[in-house]
Amino acid sequence: MPVSTVVREHRTGASLASGVLVMPFVTVLLWGAFAVWEPQFISPRNLSMLMIELSVTATLAIGMLLVILPGHIDLSAGSGVGLLGGVAAVLVFQSGWPAPLALTAALLVGLCLWGGMAWLVVRWRIQAFIITLGGLLVFKGAFWLVIESSTVPIVGREGANLYSILTTWYVPPRYGLAALLVVGVLWSVRLWMQWRKQYRAGLAVDSGEVAFLRVFTIGQALLLVVLICNAYRGVPLAFLILMALAGVAHVLTQETTFGRNLYAVGGNLAAARACGVPVDRVVLLAFTVMGAVVAITGFMQTAYAGASTTTVGELMELDAIAACVIGGASLKGGRGTVVGTLLGSLIMASLLNGMTLLAVAPEAKLIVRGSVLVLAVLVDVRMKRE
Amino acid sequence: MNGRALLEAERVSKHFGGVTALRNVSFAVREGEVHAICGENGAGKSTLIKLLSGQFVPGSYTGQLRFQGKPVVFRDVREAEAAGIAVIHQELALIESLSVAENLFLGRLPQRAGRIDWSRMFTRAREVLDRVGAEIDPEMRVADLGMGQKQLVEITRALSRNPRLLILDEPTAALGEDEVETLTENLDRLRAQGVSAIYISHKLDEILALADRVTVLRDGASIRTQQVAGLTPDTLIQQMVGRELREVFPPPGDHRCGPVALCLEGLAVRSKRPGAPRLQNISWSVRRGEILGIGGLMGAGRTELVMHLYGLWGQRVAGSVTLDREPYLRPSPRRSLSRGMMLVTEDRQRLGLVALRSVDQNLSLSSHSAISRWGWVQRSAEQARNSAVMEKLGLRPDRRLLSARHLSGGNQQKVVVGRGLLSAPRVILLDEPTRGIDVGAKRELYEEVRRLAAEGIAIVWVSSELPELIGMSDRIVMMREGAVAGVFDRPPFDARRLMAAATGQTM
Repeated sequence: MPVSTVVREHRTGASLASGVLVMPFVTVLLWGAFAVWEPQFISPRNLSMLMIELSVTATLAIGMLLVILPGHIDLSAGSGVGLLGGVAAVLVFQSGWPAPLALTAALLVGLCLWGGMAWLVVRWRIQAFIITLGGLLVFKGAFWLVIESSTVPIVGREGANLYSILTTWYVPPRYGLAALLVVGVLWSVRLWMQWRKQYRAGLAVDSGEVAFLRVFTIGQALLLVVLICNAYRGVPLAFLILMALAGVAHVLTQETTFGRNLYAVGGNLAAARACGVPVDRVVLLAFTVMGAVVAITGFMQTAYAGASTTTVGELMELDAIAACVIGGASLKGGRGTVVGTLLGSLIMASLLNGMTLLAVAPEAKLIVRGSVLVLAVLVDVRMKRE
Repeated sequence: MNGRALLEAERVSKHFGGVTALRNVSFAVREGEVHAICGENGAGKSTLIKLLSGQFVPGSYTGQLRFQGKPVVFRDVREAEAAGIAVIHQELALIESLSVAENLFLGRLPQRAGRIDWSRMFTRAREVLDRVGAEIDPEMRVADLGMGQKQLVEITRALSRNPRLLILDEPTAALGEDEVETLTENLDRLRAQGVSAIYISHKLDEILALADRVTVLRDGASIRTQQVAGLTPDTLIQQMVGRELREVFPPPGDHRCGPVALCLEGLAVRSKRPGAPRLQNISWSVRRGEILGIGGLMGAGRTELVMHLYGLWGQRVAGSVTLDREPYLRPSPRRSLSRGMMLVTEDRQRLGLVALRSVDQNLSLSSHSAISRWGWVQRSAEQARNSAVMEKLGLRPDRRLLSARHLSGGNQQKVVVGRGLLSAPRVILLDEPTRGIDVGAKRELYEEVRRLAAEGIAIVWVSSELPELIGMSDRIVMMREGAVAGVFDRPPFDARRLMAAATGQTM
């Protein structure tokens, strides 16, 4: 069977095809510049911190992608990060709830709030922009009420608990390598079986070399990550959370009917509806997942800040949106991938970390972040036009 | 009348993806003449108009335009307007929420000290409306006007710019007789003033009455330009059709029709906004294995009817719909699909395709439950199903991973049809399924529809093209102004009688 004649357009479309090459390149340039300026940037300790910061940014960005794909937006994510982190902090460190119970409770609050916002969006056909703008303010107010506009430290009187270790626990180096090996082997075997199944069915497949090269490159990259982490204390727990979430989101968008529907709704709402796609249900589900993601990000960000204070989560929604857009997502919907979003988050997180290390003034940091976002979109728009 | 050429097109060609819309078309409008363009649907009339009025970016077409003898390139509509070309579109380009006067002067509202000079605007609006003989209050909102009045506003707006060339794209499709009269008078007056007009219409007697010369387009090429004097409708039709059209249609099968699949009784539907019903007292039924053709002029309500049946348009105010002997009360696309009724939409780009996604994903969009387990897409099951339908429709399998937007119009249409077929329909509603696809693809579609009918599927076929309607239907319902104007029970159908029903003439 002449399988090789099948025309394979890049799975993720033109934007990522270019982005996939451009973004790592930009990241390397950025890292190089920071490293030359301040060698501390590539110290194992700083890179480990960068990993944790990336985990927080990217987790929220992946949730945001699920909302952006069907053509909506969530401006309330940053406030939600503060609120849900704060709710959990108050429950654990003031009311004395067991941490797992408190985190679950805050997660449920997240699901309900975002489910509720989505209901307003689909039932009354109000733009998500408006609903979540309202959410931004309401959640911020609620957040300050919950923590009584004060500071709730994330340190247990009776030692560490699940909440406080979120960004302080590391996988011991030996276990990190072993785990990578196991995951790597299992993943390769699964890919190979899938590849063989598709090949036998006479379907479009990459050539063996390309498939191998892809596995090899990703494997190398992950190995590098683990080695760098091990040079400090090991792979951070937060990074494991991100990887798990990214894996789930990738499968969700690429392998499930929900994912198909997400792209269809964002790509052409009227056509999706005419084709019988349950449009409202898709949007409702995307927002509800976002609620869970906001809660998880809230726990990590609050733990990383060391306390729940009034500024936790501020402007995080904009970083998340920026990461999606830099990663090739379109705010009109229907375009964007998890991998691109991860790369976009890496650029945003590196930029912020490097500038903090160089003691750039906060005013300048804001200006640079904004400019990078606009620049990225400009480049993307220009490339798409050609 | 034998004036100099005002606007000339020389060997212009335009492609959309793989479809050739215009092929080396040359044509010229003289000063002070009414120049008609006619041709079948898809012959390239609208494309030509767009090209002449600067709606295509230079470089996206080939050939040369000359205006008053000098080569010109219109980079956008504004440049064409500045040169004196005004277009009145088939779909009206008015802003419904604004007043008539604001629409007339949009983009050049009279101002005083940086603020809009309302009284001057209304006075001037009154003047220009009077000049074309339109009795319309300039302070009224456009949304409150009738179709014909809107058309007049559009024409008035074009004339208020003192154009050298007026392009009218199907201007009379929605007009009543009086309004057509007004339009004719206006055209005569313009001609006297030395203004040229390009007039596009399906109505041949109108062309013969109004125009000085006529250019016939066929399959994207200009067949010939000639003086109208001495022409008959028959000659024009012959030039438009050209090929031996009757042979294109595959013969009907010899299967027998089954029980009634879809039945409408006294159906009346209005649009979602309150108002008089757009569709009135519609009754007909279609049986399994039968092809029911629905014809009529533009605006007769055919598209609204099938959109309503499928669940995409309107609010039912009276009557009933019965699908497979069960009443079908509140239609929605999801319910229609689950009850075995599909629609191939006329508006492919807006309602038919998710252009960014692959052919495979577009094909599967209506039948996700069949290709997934626990929400998990089974690629091999999907590809097997899709391969079968692609082969059936003559879609090349190596296109399956391509974005739908890269396909030609005909192949896109096949994807839309294919997706519907994969949802295992028992009733198929086809709304202008051959619009914008080339002759070969048409032929394949005709044959496929015949096969589907032979399999016992009930088919409702909406078409603007009489030959197609006559060639394909087992029965024909003609519609006019939202109501059934005539039912024709068995072939052979007489084109003139069908047309008479559509236009409301008695023979």
